Amino acid sequence: MSIAPIAPFTPPVAAELPGITGAERSAARPDLAGSFGKALEDAHAAEHRATAAAEQFAKGDPGMGIHEVVIASEKANIAVRYATTLKNKALEAYRELMNTQV
Amino acid sequence: MSTMDFFTAMEVSASGLSAERTRMNVAASNLANAQTTQAAGGGPYKRRDVVMQSVDVPGVQRTPFAQAVKGVAVSQISQDTAPPRLEYDPGHPQANAQGYVAYPNVNPVEEMVDMITASRAYEAGITTMTTAVNMAERALGIGR
Repeated sequence: MSIAPIAPFTPPVAAELPGITGAERSAARPDLAGSFGKALEDAHAAEHRATAAAEQFAKGDPGMGIHEVVIASEKANIAVRYATTLKNKALEAYRELMNTQV
Repeated sequence: MSTMDFFTAMEVSASGLSAERTRMNVAASNLANAQTTQAAGGGPYKRRDVVMQSVDVPGVQRTPFAQAVKGVAVSQISQDTAPPRLEYDPGHPQANAQGYVAYPNVNPVEEMVDMITASRAYEAGITTMTTAVNMAERALGIGR
């Protein structure tokens, strides 16, 4: 009795996934390290702007209102939390992989 | 920061807050000078009014939709050309030949209304801002 071989398994490629075209896939493949680096840079810049705004306000710059200072620090807060979230996700994924039972 | 579209709403409401702050300053100036008979350039103080203008949001040029979103800025502070209020007071140093003193064309009731409008608009801007921040925080909390 012959056993029919299992049909070769073709993993779904990104091009077949809904919403992602082949062109998008071939264009810049994002990696976590890159986006985390970008998020860190953004957070750093936002923090810098918040500090500068607070300094300008303290110096009595008439163009710098209270709300601008608070908004700048709120933006920095969000940017830092975004970077932290990316870091947490990456660590989580790493731990998940490391705990794989073989 | 162009990468985070949440900041667009924040930039827009920030521009609104700045504009309302200017409106508040102008209302304060009008109220403070409601009895000023001697202003720079001669004559009584003239009522000021803010002229608002929609402007592009700084740092947002990525998508056509984002470009359609506009912030606000005060384009100029105009002077009200309404005639001054004349009061008969011959003893006043600024009285004219007929004994009338020209007082500013400021109506305190109108200024109070302007002030309340500015205050409410400021509150609305803060609410927009808080909502945008809350949305960003909710998004960061996805999956947690």
